Amino acid sequence: MKGKPSQCLEIEPTLAATATGDGDAAAAARVEVHVAVCAPCRAAFARYRDLGRAVAAWGRVPEAPPDAARARLESRLADLRKRTLLYRVFPSPLGDLLIARSEAGVSLVEYLAGGDAGRSRLLRTAGVEAIEDGADVEVLYRELMEYLEHKRTRLEWPLDLRLARSDFHRRVLAATAEIPYGAVMSYAGIACEIGKPAAVRAVAQALRWNPLPIVVPCHRVVGTSGALTGYAGDRVGLKQRLLAVEGVPAVRSRDDFRIPRDAMYVRTPGSTEYCLPSCAWLERIEHPHRVVRFASRASAEAAGLTPCTDCRPDLHPLAR
Amino acid sequence: MSVMGQPPFDAVVAAHHGEIHRYLRRATARASEADDLSQETFLRAYRAYRTLTPEANVRAWLFTIATNLARNHFRSESRRRRAHAEVRATRATAATEGPEHTALYNEARARVEALVARLPQKQRLAFVLRRVHDLDYDTIARSLDCSSESARAHVFQALRKIRVSLDGQELPHQE
Repeated sequence: MKGKPSQCLEIEPTLAATATGDGDAAAAARVEVHVAVCAPCRAAFARYRDLGRAVAAWGRVPEAPPDAARARLESRLADLRKRTLLYRVFPSPLGDLLIARSEAGVSLVEYLAGGDAGRSRLLRTAGVEAIEDGADVEVLYRELMEYLEHKRTRLEWPLDLRLARSDFHRRVLAATAEIPYGAVMSYAGIACEIGKPAAVRAVAQALRWNPLPIVVPCHRVVGTSGALTGYAGDRVGLKQRLLAVEGVPAVRSRDDFRIPRDAMYVRTPGSTEYCLPSCAWLERIEHPHRVVRFASRASAEAAGLTPCTDCRPDLHPLAR
Repeated sequence: MSVMGQPPFDAVVAAHHGEIHRYLRRATARASEADDLSQETFLRAYRAYRTLTPEANVRAWLFTIATNLARNHFRSESRRRRAHAEVRATRATAATEGPEHTALYNEARARVEALVARLPQKQRLAFVLRRVHDLDYDTIARSLDCSSESARAHVFQALRKIRVSLDGQELPHQE
């Protein structure tokens, strides 16, 4: 190409833009003035205009809609949605807590040392897509705080037990979830409940890996002797505090805590009544481990129980 | 408590998948890559969708994700060359569709497509984003990590190259 006048070179971008419908009115006016006196640029303008139309035609080419691609995308998205857990870390009186949920329900409540989500088991779990997002778990957090502040006795959340390690663990968690507010049961009792009376240690392990502490109240499961024995690793102090929130006292004994199991009301398996620990009925029951103990008449009655008509705990309440 | 509020992401897919797919088809010149890259675009978008502010322009945002993916995809120049060799090989078949289009018209279109495919990457992407999908220069600039002046210059350079390549050839068009 022979050397174009500098004016033509300078105006070419504007000319191309105007010819292809991409310029403003001021640009159009300048181009108009120039092409009126410059034949090569007039020709170039026409070429750009035709090119603009050819490109527009190309852009309008009706392609077959990518139905197959769309179907594949939707199936991948459905899978991703199922695997997605939304989480956020919140401060609490028990330390930082990570709360996560899926489409199906709450899937993780985790005591998070130092509030570092990077150390969460969420990030170590294969097949889980963890996305930090507050909106969906904020409500859960508020309800959990109300629970810890004694303003709420139930967390009626849909649960997603996908992070439990096995079906055995899920059965342990399901049985634990049945223990009422303000009550305790023993590890041996849970083992009996799920039909594996010898699996006491396995029950303790399942609860150690409980993905939903507080919500699935593993703090209500204690040793047969009444010793708290353990919680979330070595956080037995938290267990004592959670039980205290529910009105279950635990006193320190050496490096553990102990609940006054002989000074608590008792529900026998399958019964709708609660008894004094001295009730004659208790000596005759088949599975003594399966009893549930309540710290107060109020919590037993809140769980829907009525006073035993033999031992009459309503007339002879336990001294506190 | 209600189950997690179903995000209207399905609506985003319904509204934009076709266009993003067509864009990637033009940007990469291969249907199989458009399938993969558009899928990846929406999977990424799904992961980040919740962090988007309510007033965000979802369409522009999707184009930005798609453009980034296309750019990464073509970082390997040899891959790009292979793709373009394929475009040239399929030109003949691409020009024989739709009874309502004349063969000449189709040929012009096919020539444009082949020329676009040969453009340097940034020019090609800027050109397609602007001329086919009508995105504004700010969005194009964001997608390509450049100023909006450079985005404008990329589009012009693309136009100029195509014009020069087509010099002396008729460009029939239908109104």
